[in-house]
Amino acid sequence: MADRDKKDARDEKDELEVPENGLLTARRLWASARGLRWRVVVATIAAILYVTCDLITPLYSAHLIDLLWKNIQAAFAKGEPFVVTLDDGGRELLVYLGIWMLAWVFYSTQSLVMASFAERLNLRLRKDISAKVGRLPLRYFDAHKPGDTISRATNDLDKVSEVLQRGLLQIIISAVTLVGALIIMFRMDVLLASIFTVFIAASLLLTRVVAGRTLVVAGRRQEVLGRLTGRVEEAYSGRTVVKAFGRERASLEQIEADAQELALVSARADFLTNAISPAIRFLTRLSQVICGVLAGGMLVAGRLTIGTFQAFFQYVFKASEPVTQLSLTVNMLQGALAAAERVFRLLDEEEVVPDPEQPARLPEHVRGRVAFEHVRFGYSPDKPLMSDVSFVAEPGQKVAIVGQTGAGKTTLINLLMRFYEVDGGRITLDGIDTRRLARADLRRQFGMVLQDAWLFEGTIAQNIAYGKSDATREDVEAAARAAHVDYFVRTLPDGYDTVLSNDAENISQGQRQLLTIARAMLMDPAILILDEATSSVDTRTEQYITRAMEAIMEDRTSFVIAHRLSTIVDADLILVMDHGSIVEKGNHRELLAKGGMYAELYRSQFA
Amino acid sequence: MKKNKAGEKGVERDYSKSQSARLLLRLLSPYKGMCVVTLLMLLCDIVGTLYVPTELSALINAAISTKGSPEILSHGLRMLAASVIGSGGCIISFYLASRLAANIGRDMRVAVYRKSLELSGFDFGQFGTGSMITRTLSDANVVQQTFLMTFIMLAPVPIICVVSVVLAFGVDYQMGWLLLSISVVMSLIMVAAVRKSAPIFLIMQGFVDRMNTRLREHITGVRVIRAFGKEEDARRGLDQTFEDYARNAIRVNMVFATADCATFFLMNLVEVLVIWLGADRVGAHAMQIGSISALVEYAMIIMFFMMMGQFAILQLPRAMACLTRATEVLEAVPSVADPEEPKAIGTGAATRGDVVASFDHVGFRYADADEETLHDVDFRVRRGEVTAVIGNTGSGKSTIAKLLLRFHDVTSGSLSFMGADVRGVRRADLRARIGYVPQKAWLFSGTVASNLRDGDDSADEERLWHALDVAQGGFVRDLPEGLAAPVAQGGSNFSGGQRQRLAIARALVRKADLYVFDDSFSALDFKTDALLRHALKDELADAAVVIIAQRVSTIRDAAQIVVLDEGRVVGLGTHDELMRICPTYQAIARSQERGGVEDGR
Repeated sequence: MADRDKKDARDEKDELEVPENGLLTARRLWASARGLRWRVVVATIAAILYVTCDLITPLYSAHLIDLLWKNIQAAFAKGEPFVVTLDDGGRELLVYLGIWMLAWVFYSTQSLVMASFAERLNLRLRKDISAKVGRLPLRYFDAHKPGDTISRATNDLDKVSEVLQRGLLQIIISAVTLVGALIIMFRMDVLLASIFTVFIAASLLLTRVVAGRTLVVAGRRQEVLGRLTGRVEEAYSGRTVVKAFGRERASLEQIEADAQELALVSARADFLTNAISPAIRFLTRLSQVICGVLAGGMLVAGRLTIGTFQAFFQYVFKASEPVTQLSLTVNMLQGALAAAERVFRLLDEEEVVPDPEQPARLPEHVRGRVAFEHVRFGYSPDKPLMSDVSFVAEPGQKVAIVGQTGAGKTTLINLLMRFYEVDGGRITLDGIDTRRLARADLRRQFGMVLQDAWLFEGTIAQNIAYGKSDATREDVEAAARAAHVDYFVRTLPDGYDTVLSNDAENISQGQRQLLTIARAMLMDPAILILDEATSSVDTRTEQYITRAMEAIMEDRTSFVIAHRLSTIVDADLILVMDHGSIVEKGNHRELLAKGGMYAELYRSQFA
Repeated sequence: MKKNKAGEKGVERDYSKSQSARLLLRLLSPYKGMCVVTLLMLLCDIVGTLYVPTELSALINAAISTKGSPEILSHGLRMLAASVIGSGGCIISFYLASRLAANIGRDMRVAVYRKSLELSGFDFGQFGTGSMITRTLSDANVVQQTFLMTFIMLAPVPIICVVSVVLAFGVDYQMGWLLLSISVVMSLIMVAAVRKSAPIFLIMQGFVDRMNTRLREHITGVRVIRAFGKEEDARRGLDQTFEDYARNAIRVNMVFATADCATFFLMNLVEVLVIWLGADRVGAHAMQIGSISALVEYAMIIMFFMMMGQFAILQLPRAMACLTRATEVLEAVPSVADPEEPKAIGTGAATRGDVVASFDHVGFRYADADEETLHDVDFRVRRGEVTAVIGNTGSGKSTIAKLLLRFHDVTSGSLSFMGADVRGVRRADLRARIGYVPQKAWLFSGTVASNLRDGDDSADEERLWHALDVAQGGFVRDLPEGLAAPVAQGGSNFSGGQRQRLAIARALVRKADLYVFDDSFSALDFKTDALLRHALKDELADAAVVIIAQRVSTIRDAAQIVVLDEGRVVGLGTHDELMRICPTYQAIARSQERGGVEDGR
């Protein structure tokens, strides 16, 4: 629940967020757009030219209509009907058409040039992120929830592209249109223009006020939605309990109440968001009415021509649209810059130390002697997670690591595989400091089965062959048989070609675990690591697997982390860990005889 | 083959379309009145919107015909009235539409959730928890937003077209034809753009999902990927997804940009055409010069709304997909249902040794499985006795508990509770007699007390404490808030062992005839396990108890032990008996004995 609250708080903040350093972020975005910048330049020039044409047209139409009206009146005075010919207004009409077509060309240019800009830039940043994810140290993933990193590449970049796609040029177009239209209107008639300006100012003010309110309500909506989401997730995950205890009614009532509150808040939020434009339109119409009546009087008095009259109202129309646009886009722009800032923050995260330029080479056949020599490790120096750990695993030995949760068992493995870098001391493989090796070379020597059975979206065969892409179907099946999962796979309709999806519940945790064991078996590594590998299977199946594992563990160094001590009593070396250091070391008999922590643990499990 | 597939797809879509249309009507039916009022208000808005330029042009005409100021003022007043009515109607219709959409969203959420409660565990599993959450929340949200957009942006389009064409015909028939043809051409452009981009939009949704899945996979599997040295592969896979997405996004954008340009071209042409044709018509005394500006404005308004409508239409396919997904849930037939004429469960079997539950040659097969999960299972559960069920993963032992609670129905044989076939009684009545501790101890956000009272609403604090003591939940006494201590979603602020003990206490709060412990002791250490079993012996002396377990030590003292292997009962008896005669049981026991592996060699 605490997590959820935090998440909601963040979502809400997202809405209201302003970038810490908008200018810097904008500059970085600009730098990232290398090779695409010409699009922005061309589009901006085209947009400005378009607005210019667009602003000229009403002015020219005033001239045109006045001319036509003069000619019509002249014709009427002669008692003849009037028809447009090339000499009788036709030429001016063609010029008018020309201006419009010019506007169209510029408009199309900016529109088409920008159509792919945002997504191209996004693709570039997304690729940066995927490369970055490969270089981030494991401690980053320990400290950040997957959802956060995912939303950098999806939601945040979507926000950026949305604004770049529409917003950026919209701001330019709106601003130039507004200013240009006002200038022209003032030149037409100061009184009318002043009245209109008052209404524009009122509209701007109204938009700001409503936009502020909207953000508050949107935040509230996010909060209620978060609560409902939590409620539903909880109810679905615990639905067996809900049903077993006959709590259906109570649960439904609770969801109904939350859904009702969400309905109220979201109706308000949606209304506020959408009501801005009709409200602004109302103000514009009011100004139209007042200006219309005044201008009508001027028309009667001959102080205004009919062409100017209608042109003025075209400007009213042109200038009032950007008002709403402007203030909404400014909010969006800020949100997008804040989102881009988060993306850059991810891209700036500290990376793993690069591999040495001339890495040491491991022999063709690795024997698998692993030595920890006074290894120290900690995220921060004042809170060491591991202090002075030393031991030697001889080739072919089975090393068991036991201890409470948080004792440092997994940390030990992470250091061994260089997911973490040691802060002091060193770890050697066959006598070579692992830091002198290329990570890929080092890790190739390990086969790993972890507590959370990670499988990717793909077929079962692909998952088993993950570590060895050239494996034949026979190899895959042999590995599956060895891991006691062949029978199960065969009962599935598509057998080894069954596609595993993340949402699918057709395969149990225990079976997933067996598949990862088959995967490790197929890889045939020099060293095996089993981190609580059999925690999700029952004791008898565990024993089958253990025996199968033992077969391939022959002549291989192996590290086993296990809760159930029954699986590790035969280990050559048992390391008992507590608070980041090894408190006892020896084999089962020695440690039992010693009567220390191990003996205590063992007794508590088999009392 | 390919053609065949496409044909199938078409059929499927039609089917789902009619289904979701039905759901749509069902969702709308409580709000018919509100819909009508909203549409009426929308009409006010449109008439007002179009009446303002009409009056403005009338004002010009009045001004140039020098009829004088009173005329101008009256036109001004009419414009004012039109503005007030139009904007008022617009704002009211937006308000109503927001309410309407929010109510529909709410109804959909509640309906899906209500339905989820009727579905059996198997039915629910067919959808999957993740998908059900999406269907309940974000699908409803999409539908809600689409409704709103339909009202605000789509519904006005045909009305605007009709009203402005009528007004144009009122000015001059040639102008009417002009506006009519503009409307038609605009509609054609709009339809073309939507047709071209709608399928891409649906594909894009797929790519968005893929992006999320791939990224999540990459992040949660970072250890494995690196251990296998697959960083490059993983990155390439991700980049591929990103590229697919970008390519399609650009395609959609290009379609839009093109449609946008075409519309703009048309708009410009109309500006010139109206003046040209207008001048001719004024010259022919067919209309007045001021009307030209009104006509220009009508045309602009039509195009403005068409472009908005185009945007709204594009959301429709997605909303349809969401509706279909909701319909799938709402129309699913629960595989387990209450009987039409439920019998009452007797109060008999009150003395020790009486049969509480009886499995009579029970067979069970999942609807989508070829083989039976349970086959000819036959045993009785008696009051005052502990019946234990043991077996390997996949042996079907957890299914025993699910059948007892009637989460599933037996497919052959019968299961009776207190003498009544469980299919003949209401599930609520049956479950009220059972105290159940699930395999995965799940708690709900609230307090310790609120969770315990899920077992029995009326339990007083004394009973809660008693249940906690029996369940070895003494740690609650050490919490500063005691029973009022907060519980986070799922109980995540407690350790696995603590959660399990709270779940046990929750079941004990209920005074039941049968207690079912579904593998509930595995999360406990051996010492707590032993203490708990000892306390339970006294507490549940008058009830029947079923313990489903992995550890032999947990069930050593049970009155009878049912040994399951691949869905069949391969042993039934006490620990000592089974140690003598049941090889499966012996194997399980041996594997768990002290130093078992060593001895086994």
